[in-house]
Amino acid sequence: MKSYREIAGDAGSDVLGQVGAQQERLRARMAKIRLKVAVVSGKGGVGKSAVVANLAAAFAKRGLKVGALDADINGPSLAKMLGVRGQRLAFTAGGAQLPQGPLGIRVLSMDLLLPDDETPVLWSGPAEGEAYFWRGAMEVTTLREFLADTEWGELDLLLLDLPPGTDRIPNLLPLLPELHGVVIVTLPSQVSQLIVTKSVTVAKEIVKAPILGLVENMASHLCARCGAEAPLFAGEDSARMAQRLGIPFLGRVPFDPLLARYADEGTPVVLSSPGSPAARALWQIADKIGESLHLPAEPVEAKESR
Amino acid sequence: MKFLCVPCDEPMKIQETKGPDEGSLSVIFNCPTCTRQVALLTNPMETQIVRSLDVKIGGPQATYGPMAFVRSALVAQRADAPSADQPASTGSACPFTAIANAAFEGQGAADGAIWTEAAAERLNKIPGFARSWAQKGIEQYAREKGLPKITEEVMEEARERFGM
Repeated sequence: MKSYREIAGDAGSDVLGQVGAQQERLRARMAKIRLKVAVVSGKGGVGKSAVVANLAAAFAKRGLKVGALDADINGPSLAKMLGVRGQRLAFTAGGAQLPQGPLGIRVLSMDLLLPDDETPVLWSGPAEGEAYFWRGAMEVTTLREFLADTEWGELDLLLLDLPPGTDRIPNLLPLLPELHGVVIVTLPSQVSQLIVTKSVTVAKEIVKAPILGLVENMASHLCARCGAEAPLFAGEDSARMAQRLGIPFLGRVPFDPLLARYADEGTPVVLSSPGSPAARALWQIADKIGESLHLPAEPVEAKESR
Repeated sequence: MKFLCVPCDEPMKIQETKGPDEGSLSVIFNCPTCTRQVALLTNPMETQIVRSLDVKIGGPQATYGPMAFVRSALVAQRADAPSADQPASTGSACPFTAIANAAFEGQGAADGAIWTEAAAERLNKIPGFARSWAQKGIEQYAREKGLPKITEEVMEEARERFGM
Protein backbone atom coordinates (compact mmCIF):
# COMPACT_ATOMS: atom_id res chain seq x y z
CA MET A 1 0.00 0.00 0.00
CA LYS A 2 1.31 3.46 -0.88
CA SER A 3 2.55 5.67 1.92
CA TYR A 4 1.71 9.34 2.41
CA ARG A 5 4.97 10.47 0.86
CA GLU A 6 4.51 8.30 -2.20
CA ILE A 7 1.36 10.16 -3.16
CA ALA A 8 2.00 13.39 -4.99
CA GLY A 9 -0.29 16.37 -4.46
CA ASP A 10 -3.22 16.64 -2.12
CA ALA A 11 -6.20 15.26 -4.05
CA GLY A 12 -6.96 18.53 -5.78
CA SER A 13 -7.02 21.30 -3.21
CA ASP A 14 -3.46 22.39 -3.96
CA VAL A 15 -3.13 23.96 -0.54
CA LEU A 16 0.58 24.48 -1.08
CA GLY A 17 -0.19 26.26 -4.34
CA GLN A 18 -2.73 28.47 -2.61
CA VAL A 19 -0.25 29.38 0.11
CA GLY A 20 2.38 30.01 -2.56
CA ALA A 21 0.02 32.37 -4.38
CA GLN A 22 -0.60 34.25 -1.14
CA GLN A 23 3.13 34.57 -0.58
CA GLU A 24 3.68 35.76 -4.13
CA ARG A 25 1.04 38.45 -3.76
CA LEU A 26 2.69 39.56 -0.53
CA ARG A 27 6.16 39.53 -2.07
CA ALA A 28 5.02 41.63 -5.03
CA ARG A 29 3.44 44.21 -2.74
CA MET A 30 6.39 44.39 -0.38
CA ALA A 31 8.85 44.75 -3.26
CA LYS A 32 7.71 48.36 -3.59
CA ILE A 33 8.71 49.15 -0.02
CA ARG A 34 12.41 49.77 0.41
CA LEU A 35 12.79 49.24 4.15
CA LYS A 36 10.67 47.39 6.70
CA VAL A 37 11.32 47.88 10.39
CA ALA A 38 9.45 46.27 13.28
CA VAL A 39 9.11 47.82 16.72
CA VAL A 40 8.69 45.17 19.39
CA SER A 41 8.78 44.43 23.07
CA GLY A 42 8.05 41.28 24.97
CA LYS A 43 6.32 43.44 27.54
CA GLY A 44 3.05 45.29 27.05
CA GLY A 45 2.50 48.90 28.00
CA VAL A 46 6.03 50.10 27.34
CA GLY A 47 5.03 52.63 24.70
CA LYS A 48 5.78 50.82 21.46
CA SER A 49 2.98 52.52 19.58
CA ALA A 50 4.03 55.97 20.74
CA VAL A 51 7.57 55.22 19.60
CA VAL A 52 6.28 54.01 16.22
CA ALA A 53 4.04 57.05 15.72
CA ASN A 54 6.88 59.43 16.49
CA LEU A 55 9.49 57.59 14.46
CA ALA A 56 7.08 57.58 11.52
CA ALA A 57 6.59 61.32 11.90
CA ALA A 58 10.32 61.96 12.29
CA PHE A 59 11.16 60.04 9.14
CA ALA A 60 8.31 61.64 7.21
CA LYS A 61 9.66 65.01 8.29
CA ARG A 62 12.97 64.01 6.73
CA GLY A 63 11.12 63.74 3.46
CA LEU A 64 10.72 59.97 3.35
CA LYS A 65 7.55 58.24 2.23
CA VAL A 66 6.48 56.37 5.32
CA GLY A 67 3.84 53.80 6.18
CA ALA A 68 2.82 52.64 9.64
CA LEU A 69 1.14 49.30 10.16
CA ASP A 70 -0.53 48.58 13.47
CA ALA A 71 0.07 44.85 13.80
CA ASP A 72 -1.57 44.84 17.21
CA ILE A 73 -4.80 43.35 15.93
CA ASN A 74 -6.53 43.19 19.31
CA GLY A 75 -5.26 46.40 20.86
CA PRO A 76 -4.98 48.83 17.97
CA SER A 77 -3.87 52.33 18.92
CA LEU A 78 -1.82 53.65 16.01
CA ALA A 79 -4.81 55.12 14.14
CA LYS A 80 -5.55 57.26 17.16
CA MET A 81 -1.94 58.32 17.65
CA LEU A 82 -1.55 59.28 14.01
CA GLY A 83 -4.85 61.11 13.78
CA VAL A 84 -6.72 58.92 11.31
CA ARG A 85 -9.18 57.31 13.70
CA GLY A 86 -12.71 57.49 12.30
CA GLN A 87 -11.53 57.60 8.72
CA ARG A 88 -12.39 54.71 6.48
CA LEU A 89 -10.55 52.37 4.23
CA ALA A 90 -11.61 52.38 0.61
CA PHE A 91 -11.47 49.11 -1.27
CA THR A 92 -10.55 49.14 -4.92
CA ALA A 93 -9.18 46.61 -7.33
CA GLY A 94 -5.67 47.82 -6.51
CA GLY A 95 -6.07 47.15 -2.82
CA ALA A 96 -7.22 48.88 0.32
CA GLN A 97 -6.68 52.63 0.06
CA LEU A 98 -5.36 54.08 3.29
CA PRO A 99 -6.05 57.28 5.14
CA GLN A 100 -3.04 59.51 5.57
CA GLY A 101 -1.78 60.87 8.84
CA PRO A 102 0.59 63.77 9.45
CA LEU A 103 2.98 64.49 6.56
CA GLY A 104 1.25 61.89 4.42
CA ILE A 105 2.06 58.88 6.62
CA ARG A 106 -0.01 55.96 5.37
CA VAL A 107 -1.67 54.28 8.30
CA LEU A 108 -3.34 50.89 8.57
CA SER A 109 -4.89 49.64 11.77
CA MET A 110 -7.65 47.23 12.66
CA ASP A 111 -9.19 50.23 14.37
CA LEU A 112 -10.21 51.50 10.93
CA LEU A 113 -12.45 48.48 10.45
CA LEU A 114 -14.16 48.45 13.84
CA PRO A 115 -17.50 50.21 14.18
CA ASP A 116 -17.12 51.97 17.51
CA ASP A 117 -15.12 52.35 20.71
CA GLU A 118 -16.80 49.46 22.50
CA THR A 119 -16.36 46.82 19.84
CA PRO A 120 -13.48 44.42 20.28
CA VAL A 121 -12.06 42.26 17.54
CA LEU A 122 -14.27 39.18 17.45
CA TRP A 123 -14.08 36.57 14.75
CA SER A 124 -17.09 34.77 13.39
CA GLY A 125 -16.74 31.12 12.66
CA PRO A 126 -18.04 27.66 13.27
CA ALA A 127 -15.92 27.07 16.37
CA GLU A 128 -16.15 30.31 18.31
CA GLY A 129 -16.17 28.49 21.62
CA GLU A 130 -12.65 27.29 20.98
CA ALA A 131 -11.30 30.64 19.79
CA TYR A 132 -8.21 30.27 21.98
CA PHE A 133 -7.15 27.48 19.66
CA TRP A 134 -7.36 29.26 16.31
CA ARG A 135 -7.20 32.96 17.15
CA GLY A 136 -3.44 33.07 16.54
CA ALA A 137 -3.85 31.72 13.01
CA MET A 138 -6.56 34.30 12.30
CA GLU A 139 -4.26 37.08 13.45
CA VAL A 140 -1.34 35.96 11.32
CA THR A 141 -3.61 35.60 8.29
CA THR A 142 -5.00 39.07 8.99
CA LEU A 143 -1.50 40.51 9.18
CA ARG A 144 -0.60 38.84 5.92
CA GLU A 145 -3.68 40.32 4.30
CA PHE A 146 -2.96 43.77 5.77
CA LEU A 147 0.49 43.67 4.22
CA ALA A 148 -0.46 42.13 0.88
CA ASP A 149 -3.84 43.69 0.12
CA THR A 150 -3.03 47.30 0.89
CA GLU A 151 -2.11 49.90 -1.67
CA TRP A 152 0.99 51.05 0.19
CA GLY A 153 2.49 52.50 -2.95
CA GLU A 154 6.20 53.15 -3.25
CA LEU A 155 7.41 53.64 0.29
CA ASP A 156 10.86 54.35 1.66
CA LEU A 157 10.00 52.87 5.02
CA LEU A 158 7.25 50.76 6.57
CA LEU A 159 7.17 50.68 10.36
CA LEU A 160 5.34 47.80 12.00
CA ASP A 161 3.97 48.18 15.50
CA LEU A 162 3.92 44.64 16.86
CA PRO A 163 1.84 43.58 19.86
CA PRO A 164 3.59 42.45 23.04
CA GLY A 165 4.95 38.93 23.20
CA THR A 166 8.22 37.21 22.56
CA ASP A 167 6.65 35.16 19.78
CA ARG A 168 5.83 38.12 17.55
CA ILE A 169 9.04 38.32 15.58
CA PRO A 170 9.05 34.58 14.78
CA ASN A 171 5.44 34.97 13.58
CA LEU A 172 6.31 37.98 11.44
CA LEU A 173 9.42 36.68 9.72
CA PRO A 174 7.71 34.10 7.51
CA LEU A 175 5.65 37.00 6.15
CA LEU A 176 8.55 39.44 5.91
CA PRO A 177 11.77 37.47 5.54
CA GLU A 178 13.45 40.61 4.24
CA LEU A 179 12.83 42.53 7.48
CA HIS A 180 15.51 45.21 7.64
CA GLY A 181 15.50 45.88 11.31
CA VAL A 182 13.99 45.41 14.73
CA VAL A 183 13.74 48.16 17.34
CA ILE A 184 13.17 46.86 20.86
CA VAL A 185 11.46 49.02 23.47
CA THR A 186 11.73 48.57 27.22
CA LEU A 187 11.00 50.40 30.41
CA PRO A 188 13.87 50.73 32.86
CA SER A 189 12.07 48.43 35.27
CA GLN A 190 13.33 45.03 36.29
CA VAL A 191 10.05 43.41 35.25
CA SER A 192 10.14 44.93 31.77
CA GLN A 193 13.82 44.21 31.29
CA LEU A 194 13.37 40.61 32.36
CA ILE A 195 10.81 40.02 29.60
CA VAL A 196 12.46 42.21 27.00
CA THR A 197 15.67 40.25 27.46
CA LYS A 198 13.81 37.19 26.22
CA SER A 199 12.65 39.16 23.16
CA VAL A 200 16.25 40.04 22.42
CA THR A 201 17.25 36.39 22.71
CA VAL A 202 14.49 35.34 20.31
CA ALA A 203 15.30 38.08 17.80
CA LYS A 204 19.07 37.73 18.00
CA GLU A 205 19.76 34.08 18.66
CA ILE A 206 16.75 32.18 17.37
CA VAL A 207 15.36 33.96 14.34
CA LYS A 208 18.48 36.06 13.73
CA ALA A 209 16.60 39.25 12.89
CA PRO A 210 18.72 42.38 12.45
CA ILE A 211 18.41 44.35 15.70
CA LEU A 212 18.77 48.09 15.27
CA GLY A 213 18.84 48.70 18.98
CA LEU A 214 17.14 49.18 22.31
CA VAL A 215 15.00 52.18 23.28
CA GLU A 216 14.42 52.96 26.92
CA ASN A 217 11.01 54.58 27.29
CA MET A 218 9.69 56.39 30.37
CA ALA A 219 13.28 56.68 31.44
CA SER A 220 12.80 59.46 33.96
CA HIS A 221 10.37 61.99 35.29
CA LEU A 222 10.85 65.71 34.93
CA CYS A 223 9.44 67.80 37.76
CA ALA A 224 7.00 70.30 36.29
CA ARG A 225 7.98 72.89 38.92
CA CYS A 226 11.74 72.76 39.20
CA GLY A 227 12.69 70.69 36.15
CA ALA A 228 14.65 68.21 38.22
CA GLU A 229 14.97 64.80 36.62
CA ALA A 230 14.30 61.72 38.70
CA PRO A 231 14.17 58.04 37.76
CA LEU A 232 10.76 56.37 37.59
CA PHE A 233 11.98 52.80 37.91
CA ALA A 234 14.82 51.04 39.62
CA GLY A 235 15.92 48.56 36.99
CA GLU A 236 19.27 47.99 35.36
CA ASP A 237 20.66 50.85 33.33
CA SER A 238 19.29 50.10 29.87
CA ALA A 239 22.49 51.19 28.13
CA ARG A 240 24.37 48.64 30.20
CA MET A 241 21.68 46.08 29.48
CA ALA A 242 22.08 46.68 25.75
CA GLN A 243 25.83 46.33 26.06
CA ARG A 244 25.43 43.10 28.03
CA LEU A 245 23.10 41.74 25.33
CA GLY A 246 25.39 42.86 22.54
CA ILE A 247 22.93 45.20 20.83
CA PRO A 248 23.10 48.95 20.16
CA PHE A 249 21.53 51.36 22.63
CA LEU A 250 19.43 53.94 20.83
CA GLY A 251 18.49 56.29 23.63
CA ARG A 252 16.25 57.18 26.54
CA VAL A 253 12.86 58.84 26.22
CA PRO A 254 11.82 60.63 29.42
CA PHE A 255 8.29 60.41 30.71
CA ASP A 256 6.73 63.52 29.26
CA PRO A 257 3.04 64.39 29.59
CA LEU A 258 3.28 66.20 26.26
CA LEU A 259 4.01 62.92 24.50
CA ALA A 260 0.82 61.38 25.86
CA ARG A 261 -1.19 64.51 25.17
CA TYR A 262 -0.16 64.71 21.55
CA ALA A 263 -0.63 60.97 21.12
CA ASP A 264 -4.23 61.42 22.23
CA GLU A 265 -4.60 64.28 19.78
CA GLY A 266 -3.12 62.30 16.90
CA THR A 267 -0.27 64.70 16.35
CA PRO A 268 3.07 63.14 17.31
CA VAL A 269 5.11 65.13 19.80
CA VAL A 270 8.14 65.27 17.46
CA LEU A 271 6.04 67.50 15.21
CA SER A 272 3.82 69.25 17.73
CA SER A 273 6.42 70.09 20.33
CA PRO A 274 9.78 69.28 18.78
CA GLY A 275 11.73 71.06 21.48
CA SER A 276 10.22 69.09 24.34
CA PRO A 277 12.45 66.60 26.18
CA ALA A 278 10.66 63.55 24.79
CA ALA A 279 10.67 64.90 21.25
CA ARG A 280 14.38 65.69 21.39
CA ALA A 281 15.10 62.17 22.58
CA LEU A 282 12.93 60.65 19.84
CA TRP A 283 14.60 62.77 17.17
CA GLN A 284 17.99 61.48 18.31
CA ILE A 285 16.72 57.91 18.25
CA ALA A 286 15.37 58.43 14.73
CA ASP A 287 18.75 59.83 13.69
CA LYS A 288 20.56 56.75 15.00
CA ILE A 289 18.13 54.40 13.27
CA GLY A 290 18.51 56.44 10.07
CA GLU A 291 22.27 55.99 10.25
CA SER A 292 21.93 52.24 10.73
CA LEU A 293 19.59 51.99 7.77
CA HIS A 294 21.85 54.22 5.66
CA LEU A 295 19.07 56.70 5.11
CA PRO A 296 20.10 59.99 3.55
CA ALA A 297 21.16 62.58 6.09
CA GLU A 298 18.51 65.03 7.08
CA PRO A 299 18.85 68.37 5.27
CA VAL A 300 20.22 71.06 7.58
CA GLU A 301 17.23 73.31 6.98
CA ALA A 302 14.90 70.47 7.94
CA LYS A 303 16.86 69.89 11.12
CA GLU A 304 16.70 73.55 11.99
CA SER A 305 12.96 73.60 11.41
CA ARG A 306 12.32 70.88 13.98
CA MET B 1 -4.47 14.88 4.43
CA LYS B 2 -4.68 12.34 1.63
CA PHE B 3 -7.05 9.48 0.92
CA LEU B 4 -5.99 6.19 -0.59
CA CYS B 5 -8.30 3.65 -2.20
CA VAL B 6 -6.95 0.50 -0.56
CA PRO B 7 -8.17 -2.09 -3.12
CA CYS B 8 -6.74 -0.05 -6.03
CA ASP B 9 -3.78 1.42 -4.10
CA GLU B 10 -4.62 4.69 -5.85
CA PRO B 11 -4.85 8.16 -4.32
CA MET B 12 -8.40 9.45 -4.35
CA LYS B 13 -9.34 12.80 -5.90
CA ILE B 14 -11.69 15.47 -4.68
CA GLN B 15 -14.90 15.34 -6.64
CA GLU B 16 -16.99 17.90 -4.83
CA THR B 17 -17.06 20.11 -1.74
CA LYS B 18 -20.18 21.31 0.03
CA GLY B 19 -20.71 23.75 2.82
CA PRO B 20 -19.78 24.87 5.32
CA ASP B 21 -23.19 23.95 6.64
CA GLU B 22 -23.74 24.13 10.37
CA GLY B 23 -20.02 24.44 10.76
CA SER B 24 -19.20 21.36 8.68
CA LEU B 25 -17.61 20.96 5.30
CA SER B 26 -18.44 17.90 3.21
CA VAL B 27 -15.72 16.83 0.83
CA ILE B 28 -16.41 13.92 -1.52
CA PHE B 29 -13.47 11.94 -2.86
CA ASN B 30 -13.53 9.28 -5.50
CA CYS B 31 -11.09 6.74 -6.76
CA PRO B 32 -10.18 7.42 -10.39
CA THR B 33 -9.77 3.68 -11.01
CA CYS B 34 -12.80 2.01 -9.41
CA THR B 35 -14.93 5.16 -8.82
CA ARG B 36 -15.48 4.22 -5.17
CA GLN B 37 -16.48 7.29 -3.16
CA VAL B 38 -15.90 8.42 0.40
CA ALA B 39 -16.95 11.63 2.11
CA LEU B 40 -14.91 13.61 4.61
CA LEU B 41 -17.11 15.52 7.04
CA THR B 42 -15.26 18.10 9.10
CA ASN B 43 -16.24 19.14 12.59
CA PRO B 44 -16.54 22.89 13.35
CA MET B 45 -13.01 23.09 14.74
CA GLU B 46 -11.54 21.51 11.63
CA THR B 47 -13.60 23.83 9.43
CA GLN B 48 -12.38 26.77 11.47
CA ILE B 49 -8.73 25.81 11.16
CA VAL B 50 -9.02 25.59 7.38
CA ARG B 51 -10.75 28.95 7.33
CA SER B 52 -8.14 30.53 9.60
CA LEU B 53 -5.48 29.70 7.05
CA ASP B 54 -7.49 31.33 4.26
CA VAL B 55 -7.21 28.31 2.00
CA LYS B 56 -10.02 26.56 0.18
CA ILE B 57 -10.59 22.83 0.18
CA GLY B 58 -11.16 21.69 -3.37
CA GLY B 59 -8.79 24.21 -4.87
CA PRO B 60 -8.42 27.96 -5.15
CA GLN B 61 -11.52 29.91 -6.03
CA ALA B 62 -11.93 33.26 -7.61
CA THR B 63 -10.45 36.06 -5.56
CA TYR B 64 -12.85 38.38 -3.85
CA GLY B 65 -10.99 41.63 -3.57
CA PRO B 66 -8.71 43.16 -0.97
CA MET B 67 -8.94 42.03 2.63
CA ALA B 68 -11.76 39.63 1.81
CA PHE B 69 -10.66 37.33 4.61
CA VAL B 70 -10.66 40.00 7.32
CA ARG B 71 -13.87 41.56 6.12
CA SER B 72 -15.70 38.27 6.01
CA ALA B 73 -14.39 37.03 9.35
CA LEU B 74 -14.97 40.01 11.64
CA VAL B 75 -18.17 39.70 13.66
CA ALA B 76 -18.70 43.44 13.61
CA GLN B 77 -17.07 46.07 11.47
CA ARG B 78 -17.71 49.55 10.22
CA ALA B 79 -20.96 49.70 8.33
CA ASP B 80 -19.35 51.86 5.69
CA ALA B 81 -16.16 49.81 5.35
CA PRO B 82 -17.23 47.61 2.46
CA SER B 83 -19.63 49.33 0.11
CA ALA B 84 -21.84 47.74 -2.48
CA ASP B 85 -19.92 49.06 -5.45
CA GLN B 86 -16.61 47.76 -4.25
CA PRO B 87 -15.19 44.28 -4.72
CA ALA B 88 -15.39 41.75 -1.94
CA SER B 89 -18.33 43.39 -0.30
CA THR B 90 -20.16 40.07 -0.05
CA GLY B 91 -17.76 37.91 -1.92
CA SER B 92 -16.70 35.42 0.70
CA ALA B 93 -16.68 31.79 -0.27
CA CYS B 94 -18.55 31.15 2.94
CA PRO B 95 -22.33 31.26 2.38
CA PHE B 96 -22.93 32.35 5.94
CA THR B 97 -20.59 35.26 5.49
CA ALA B 98 -22.21 36.30 2.26
CA ILE B 99 -25.61 36.34 3.94
CA ALA B 100 -24.30 38.06 7.01
CA ASN B 101 -22.35 40.65 5.04
CA ALA B 102 -25.32 41.37 2.82
CA ALA B 103 -27.46 41.74 5.88
CA PHE B 104 -24.86 43.91 7.56
CA GLU B 105 -24.83 46.19 4.57
CA GLY B 106 -28.60 46.36 4.61
CA GLN B 107 -28.96 44.55 1.32
CA GLY B 108 -32.15 42.57 1.33
CA ALA B 109 -32.81 42.75 5.01
CA ALA B 110 -36.47 42.22 5.75
CA ASP B 111 -38.37 45.43 6.22
CA GLY B 112 -40.68 45.52 9.19
CA ALA B 113 -39.99 41.93 10.21
CA ILE B 114 -42.29 40.63 12.91
CA TRP B 115 -40.54 39.44 16.03
CA THR B 116 -42.37 37.54 18.73
CA GLU B 117 -42.03 38.97 22.21
CA ALA B 118 -39.83 36.08 23.35
CA ALA B 119 -37.60 36.38 20.30
CA ALA B 120 -37.26 40.13 20.74
CA GLU B 121 -36.35 39.59 24.38
CA ARG B 122 -33.71 37.09 23.37
CA LEU B 123 -32.38 39.46 20.74
CA ASN B 124 -31.98 42.15 23.38
CA LYS B 125 -29.71 39.84 25.35
CA ILE B 126 -27.15 39.88 22.53
CA PRO B 127 -24.34 42.35 23.34
CA GLY B 128 -25.00 45.75 21.84
CA PHE B 129 -22.05 45.76 19.47
CA ALA B 130 -23.33 42.60 17.74
CA ARG B 131 -27.10 43.03 18.10
CA SER B 132 -27.79 45.00 14.95
CA TRP B 133 -25.65 42.65 12.92
CA ALA B 134 -27.39 39.59 14.39
CA GLN B 135 -30.84 41.09 13.86
CA LYS B 136 -30.23 41.77 10.21
CA GLY B 137 -28.73 38.34 9.68
CA ILE B 138 -31.70 36.61 11.29
CA GLU B 139 -34.19 38.72 9.36
CA GLN B 140 -32.39 37.89 6.16
CA TYR B 141 -32.50 34.20 7.05
CA ALA B 142 -36.22 34.40 7.79
CA ARG B 143 -36.89 36.18 4.52
CA GLU B 144 -34.98 33.56 2.54
CA LYS B 145 -36.95 30.80 4.21
CA GLY B 146 -40.24 32.61 3.67
CA LEU B 147 -40.96 32.68 7.38
CA PRO B 148 -43.55 35.31 8.27
CA LYS B 149 -42.56 35.69 11.90
CA ILE B 150 -39.29 35.47 13.80
CA THR B 151 -39.62 33.17 16.75
CA GLU B 152 -37.04 31.74 19.13
CA GLU B 153 -37.04 28.62 16.99
CA VAL B 154 -36.18 30.66 13.92
CA MET B 155 -33.40 32.35 15.85
CA GLU B 156 -32.07 28.96 16.83
CA GLU B 157 -32.22 27.75 13.23
CA ALA B 158 -30.38 30.84 12.09
CA ARG B 159 -27.81 30.37 14.83
CA GLU B 160 -27.19 26.79 13.73
CA ARG B 161 -27.15 27.82 10.09
CA PHE B 162 -24.49 30.41 10.87
CA GLY B 163 -22.52 27.92 12.93
CA MET B 164 -22.50 30.26 15.92
